[in-house]
Amino acid sequence: MTLAVLFLALGTFLIRFLPWRKPGRLHLGQAGPALVVALFLASAFGPPPSWAWLKTLAALGATYLAERLLRNLGLAVLVGMVLYALF
Amino acid sequence: MEVPMKAGFLAAWPLVLGYFPVAVAFGLLGREADLSPWEIQMVSLLVFAGASQFALVGLVAQGTPPLLAAGLGLLLNLRHAFYGPALRPYLRGGPLEAFLLTDEVFALALKTLPHLPEEERRAHFLGLGLGAYLSWNLGTLLGSLGAEGLKGLSQAFGFALPALFFLLALPHLRNRVALLAGGVALVLHLLGQTALGLVLAGALGLLGRRP
Repeated sequence: MTLAVLFLALGTFLIRFLPWRKPGRLHLGQAGPALVVALFLASAFGPPPSWAWLKTLAALGATYLAERLLRNLGLAVLVGMVLYALF
Repeated sequence: MEVPMKAGFLAAWPLVLGYFPVAVAFGLLGREADLSPWEIQMVSLLVFAGASQFALVGLVAQGTPPLLAAGLGLLLNLRHAFYGPALRPYLRGGPLEAFLLTDEVFALALKTLPHLPEEERRAHFLGLGLGAYLSWNLGTLLGSLGAEGLKGLSQAFGFALPALFFLLALPHLRNRVALLAGGVALVLHLLGQTALGLVLAGALGLLGRRP
């Protein structure tokens, strides 16, 4: 098990480190925004599609309103969590 | 602690809220897989990549050879290869920065770093990463010590990361390339291929022009 953990740790580190370190000519275009949107959708909507998605959408709407009103990322997340638990 | 690092550390709290219960769940899973608390903690201390940690421990518990399980975990982490280059315009990555580069740290850094003076970015990023790392490892520790009472937190706090990612994604929701990539990732996620979907999303993003 120890060897497997070390292998995973080293491999993960290199996957993160080498592309960042190496100055390449690769133009990333919209990769950053694309990944952020993808991470959001994958984290918010779990399979299979269900009525629970409506609860998620309602809580996301509340999170959005909280962010507009409070102008604070952390507080908006907290408001969203509380409302999600209440819905 | 330097002021920008402290600011980054404090800015990490939405992320801490999301990480902690998931880390508790990981610790509990490790105990169910008959790993010792030290082995479970070693995974979180050295790997610091949630999905691949769950894959490693879960697969080993089902009888998969550990090295094969680690290889599959690495495939899940391939998406991380896009994160550093996407941050490169704002921050040059060293070993410590790379070690701390999770999905959530990346997304938060992409939002905050462009608005900071260049000389403050590294310390801010390290503060963000340190907050995330401490939260992940503290949660793992509590879970591995059998904090069953914290299981409920995993459900109550389950919305923290989606909410955080949503707010970070908001500025990009009119970006057609990002929406297309997100749609592809969502479809593959629903088909049980989340990691592949995220890698494809990154690849599709490459096709878009920088604004």
